[in-house]
Amino acid sequence: MKKCRELLIGEGHRVRAAESVEEALDIIQKHPGDVEIMLLSLELPGWGGMTLIKTLQKARREILIMTISANCGEEAMEAMHAGAYDCIRKSFTTDRFWTKMNRAIEAFRLRRQLDILTRQRQAALTHVRRDENLLSILQSFTDAFVVTDWQTNIVLFNEKAASMFDLTREKALGRSISVCIRSDELLSFFVRAMKSDSTLASLMVGEEPVVQVGGKDLRVHVDPVKNEAGTVIGAAGLFHDVSTASAMDRLKSDFFSMVSHELKSPLSSLLMQISVVLDGLAGDLTSKQSDLLGKAKEKTKGMITLVNDILDYRRIQEGKSIQNIENLDLAEILKRTVELMRLSAEEKGLSLTCEIAEGLPSFSGDRGGMEAVFVNLISNSIRGNVNMSLSKAGRDIRFKVVDNGIGIPPEGIDRVFEKFYRIKTQETKSISGSGLGLSIVKGIVDAHNGSIHAESQAGKGATFTVSLPVGE
Amino acid sequence: MKKVLLVDDDVEFCEATKLLLESKGYDVILAYDGKEGLEKVRAEKPDLVILDVMMPEMNGYDVCVVLKADMELKKTPVILLTAVDQALFKTTYTKVMGCMTEADDYIAKPVEPEELLKRMKDLPSKD
Repeated sequence: MKKCRELLIGEGHRVRAAESVEEALDIIQKHPGDVEIMLLSLELPGWGGMTLIKTLQKARREILIMTISANCGEEAMEAMHAGAYDCIRKSFTTDRFWTKMNRAIEAFRLRRQLDILTRQRQAALTHVRRDENLLSILQSFTDAFVVTDWQTNIVLFNEKAASMFDLTREKALGRSISVCIRSDELLSFFVRAMKSDSTLASLMVGEEPVVQVGGKDLRVHVDPVKNEAGTVIGAAGLFHDVSTASAMDRLKSDFFSMVSHELKSPLSSLLMQISVVLDGLAGDLTSKQSDLLGKAKEKTKGMITLVNDILDYRRIQEGKSIQNIENLDLAEILKRTVELMRLSAEEKGLSLTCEIAEGLPSFSGDRGGMEAVFVNLISNSIRGNVNMSLSKAGRDIRFKVVDNGIGIPPEGIDRVFEKFYRIKTQETKSISGSGLGLSIVKGIVDAHNGSIHAESQAGKGATFTVSLPVGE
Repeated sequence: MKKVLLVDDDVEFCEATKLLLESKGYDVILAYDGKEGLEKVRAEKPDLVILDVMMPEMNGYDVCVVLKADMELKKTPVILLTAVDQALFKTTYTKVMGCMTEADDYIAKPVEPEELLKRMKDLPSKD
């Protein structure tokens, strides 16, 4: 110990000496912050050294402890477990001593630096609480607002947040958001926001998830808070209560199914009545009557399609087009759909041909959705002869529909998948439709991670190609 | 001659469908709500029941459940006919409810006359 003291003083360090645990503690208490590094002999009587290490650790004293022992054996290891930094052999050489001590001094400086940074981080956010102007601005927000430090402890919140999450200053300030607002989902957003350089955070860009907290639907937006140096010092979350909007959404959904029933029931009745009269089951018809009723039947069917299209479209918007994923045999579904459509093609004197490759892999998708894709694309093309093919193309199953109908004018090609878009030309005047069919198809294809595109030369027909990815 | 009971609260639909079915040789009985439908199943013992789903008094699902729980009537084929959902996107709701009631078939409204006749023919017979 004497040698240590000489060496240290020789290099200009200040040294205090203590002969017992009590004396050491006394010095530390009397000169807080003065003791930076402690050299501690593990040969103090009665495990005194260990007791001292543990006491200092408990008191969170920022003192770096170097132990000195005969062979740096088991006891030294134990001391290091308890919080000591390193051990110096009692029989040290000067070189050896300085190697270890310089490393310890460096470590102490680093620790202190880190500590200062940590305090600055916290202070940067806590002093915001004292800024009156800023506070009143925050209070005026209609959305709830919560700021945490980088360890997700709440440092600031506004009135709205207080009532939304039942927070009080006493209960919430300085405590973790996970304790005050019991929502792991919410916590994860704060944690993710602060990892702004990671890929996790980049996933969040532009995403405003709705989270359920305490029976409320909240739209959450969390951003990292950075200081002037660009270091993340916390996160700020904005919560918008969308419970009413969600309720409206459900109401809208109910409304749609009500409309669905209220429109389809009478239409169904109309269709049956017209069909029966048209078939002569209610007495003979003149040719003029047949002609008019035939047209009435077509119009009725058009209206039914319209109602169905609106409902399909609605369902896609609600993300319900891929509700039941199962392994599908697209070839079989296509064959059946083509058979169903053949009649309406033949009525128009048009041909419907279909080439299906052998041994196609199964596709995991929604059966109803896939049927709708085929039906809509085929019926869209039955303005001319239709030629279809279903084949494997790389990792995709490709469905191609080629027709030699009126085609799509160049200005329409980018817009055909827009909802309610209909090509308005002399030729299309007589074609009824909702303008939803192709946007329904696109919605379903997108939901299955597929792609669709259209090519056409006006007057020479159109080609629609759907690519559906098959998992390897 | 096969006896068909058609249960639907839409009177015109009933009348028109009756004309259609009679032209194909069916004997048609009509009922305009679920309760009346159930009474007529018991009284008339039809060979086939066509049931609308959304009806006053008792809905089609419930009628079907009661009917299929009756040892004497359970073999009578039942077709559920509904506008609750549409043909292309059969929702699990309608489908599952249909299955749970053990209906023998399910047809979405509106139905083409030919389709209805075909589906009726495809059903297993009562005996």
